[in-house]
Amino acid sequence: MKTTRQIKREAKRLFRFCLVNGLLDEARTRQVVQRIIDAKRRGGLALLSDFQRLVKLDSARHTAKVESAMPLPDDLRVSVQTGLARTYGLGIHASFAQNPELIGGMRIKVGSDVYDGSVRARLAELEKNF
Amino acid sequence: MTDLLQEIEVQIAGAKAATAKQNVGVIREIGDGVARIEGLADAMLNEMIDLGHGITGLALNLDETEVGVIILGDYTQLHEEDEVRATGRLLQVPVGKGLLGRVVNTLGEPLDGKGPIKSDVTYPVEKIAPGIIRRSPVRQPVQTGIMAIDAMIPIGRGQRELIIGDRSTGKTTICTDTIINQARLNKAAEAAEDKEYRPLYCIYVAIGQKQSSIAQIIAVLEKTNAMPYTIVLASPASDSAANQYLAPFAGAAMGEWFMDHGMDALIIYDDLSKHAVAYRQISLVLKRPSGREAYPGDVFYLHSRLLERAARVGEKYGNGSLTALPIIETKAGDVSAYIPTNVISITDGQIYLETDLFYQGVRPAISVGLSVSRVGSAAQVKAMKQVAGQLKGDLAQFRELAAFAQFGSELDPKTQAQIDRGKRIIELFKQPQHSPIPTEVQIAMIGAVQQGYMDDVPVDRVKDFQAGLTEFLTTRKIELLRRIAREKALSEALTAELKAAADQFRQTWK
Repeated sequence: MKTTRQIKREAKRLFRFCLVNGLLDEARTRQVVQRIIDAKRRGGLALLSDFQRLVKLDSARHTAKVESAMPLPDDLRVSVQTGLARTYGLGIHASFAQNPELIGGMRIKVGSDVYDGSVRARLAELEKNF
Repeated sequence: MTDLLQEIEVQIAGAKAATAKQNVGVIREIGDGVARIEGLADAMLNEMIDLGHGITGLALNLDETEVGVIILGDYTQLHEEDEVRATGRLLQVPVGKGLLGRVVNTLGEPLDGKGPIKSDVTYPVEKIAPGIIRRSPVRQPVQTGIMAIDAMIPIGRGQRELIIGDRSTGKTTICTDTIINQARLNKAAEAAEDKEYRPLYCIYVAIGQKQSSIAQIIAVLEKTNAMPYTIVLASPASDSAANQYLAPFAGAAMGEWFMDHGMDALIIYDDLSKHAVAYRQISLVLKRPSGREAYPGDVFYLHSRLLERAARVGEKYGNGSLTALPIIETKAGDVSAYIPTNVISITDGQIYLETDLFYQGVRPAISVGLSVSRVGSAAQVKAMKQVAGQLKGDLAQFRELAAFAQFGSELDPKTQAQIDRGKRIIELFKQPQHSPIPTEVQIAMIGAVQQGYMDDVPVDRVKDFQAGLTEFLTTRKIELLRRIAREKALSEALTAELKAAADQFRQTWK
C-alpha cells in the first residue's frame, strides 16, 4: 500500500509531466486525471486530491486577481495586463472584479504576492501607525 | 497643539508611501499551536508572520507549497482560510535596563502589573553567537556566595556552568542564592561608590515550571531585595510550547544587550530539559522527522546555539560578558541520558547534585568528585586559590579513606587525621539556603579549617564554631576582612593577622 509520502511524490511527478515550457498544459492535465480515474487503484483519490492541490496552486501563481472600487477603463486594463506580463511572464492571466469595499484604488493579487494600493489599505495602515 | 499637528502630518506623510509588495498566504490547517499556511512563497526562516487579530507567528517549516508557522498568542481566534501576511522582520524583544526588576513573558510583555516596559531598543531573539576573535579568556569570578562552589568549582564571568541533578536536589536554590549574592555585592559597591566594581545583572528564565514555583522565587528575590538587579522571564507550564521554546532565546537577547554595552550579566535557564520537551512537541506537530527518544535531529543545535551566546568579549568590543547557568533535571541520577550528555558536552563544566547527599543532610548536595569547572582557578581571586587549592584533593582522599574506614580496622594517626579533617570540611561546606557568604569570610573559614583550627572541634559543633568565628571577624576584625576583600591575595602579613585572629577566637570559644 502506498504511503502518504509516496502518493505526494507521485502527484508531484504527474504534475511535472503536465508542464510544457514551464506552463501547465490543459490537455495533458485532463489526460492525467482521466487515466487516474480509469485505473481505479487504491490511493487514487488521495493522488487526485494532491494533484488537484498542485494544479490549484499553479493556477493561483499564474492568475492575477485585480480588484478595484470602480470599473476600470479598457486602456487601464491593458496597461495592468502588460505590467503583470512584464513582471511575471507571458503565462499570466488577469481577472478583473469590482469591490466597493476598497473605497478607491486597486488591489492586485498574484499567487502569494499582493500589491494593495487601495484607500482601505492606506487607512488601515494609518490606523496601525496611530 | 502645534507639536501634535506636526506629528500627525509626519504620520500621514509616512502612510502615503508608495505601494509595497506584500507576501500573503491562507491558513490551510490549524491545530496544536501550529498553523499550516498555503502561499507565503517568499517567507524566510524565523520570519514573523502577522496572523491577524493581533497575533503573530514564526515561520519554522518552509516546504515547497506551504509554510509551517508556530503561533505566539491565542490560536483559538484563528480560522481556516484566514489571510496572513509576512512582515519581513525577525522576532524581536525589548531589551535594556528598563527590564530590571520586572517580570515579563517570552515576547517581553509585562506580567507583574507594574505598567509598560520602558525600552527603546529591541534585539532579535535568534542571533549568531560572538565569533572567536571577539572573545577573550574568562578571568573574572562570579561570586555565588556558596562556599562549596566558590572554593572548589569556581565560576567565571563568561562561562557556561551546568547545574545538573534529580528533582528537589537544590538546583534552583543554587541559582537564587547566586542572584541574591550579586544583588548584595552590587548594593555594597554602590554604597561604597566603588567605580572599579563591575555589577552583575541577573536574568532568570523559567521554562515550563509551575506558576506557584515561579511566584515563590519572585517572592524570595523581593524579600532579599534582589529584584532591582534581576529580570524574570516567565514561560510557565501553562504557556504554549512555542513560547516555552522561545523563552531562553529571548532571555539570551536581553543578556546580550548588557554584554554588548560593556556590562556583565548572568542568565539562568531553569530548566533546559523542559525546553527540549517543548521543542520536541513543536517539531512533532510540524511533522519533522524524529530521532532518539522522539527528539528532533537538531536538539543538540537547539542548546549549542543558545549556550554559545554566553561569552566574555574582548576590550575592543566593550569587555562585557554573559555567564550562563543552565539547569538540567536528570531521572534517577542518570547523567548518561540523551539531553544531559548533550548539554554536558556543550558547557564549560557542571555542578552535579546528588539525592543521596541531600538526604544525608549535605546541602548544597554537591558531588565534589563529579563536579568540575573547566575554567577553574583562573576565575578565582588569588586569596581563595591560596586557601582552597588543595581542598578538592583532600576531599578526594577523604572519600577513598572513608570507604576504607567502614571496615572498622584500626587506622594510623595520619589516616585518621585525614578522615577527621575531611568530615569537618564537609560539615563546613553545609550552608542554609538564601544565606550567601561573602568571599572574604569564606577565605577566612577555609583558611581556618586548613590550618587545623577546627581539628579538635566536634563535627556536630563545626557550624557553631563557624558562626562564632564569622561573628567575631565581622564585629571585631572587620578591617581585616576589608583588607582581604581589597587586596584579593593573602600576603604573609595578612596570613599572620588571620592566624592571630583565629587564635584569639579559639581561646575564648567553648
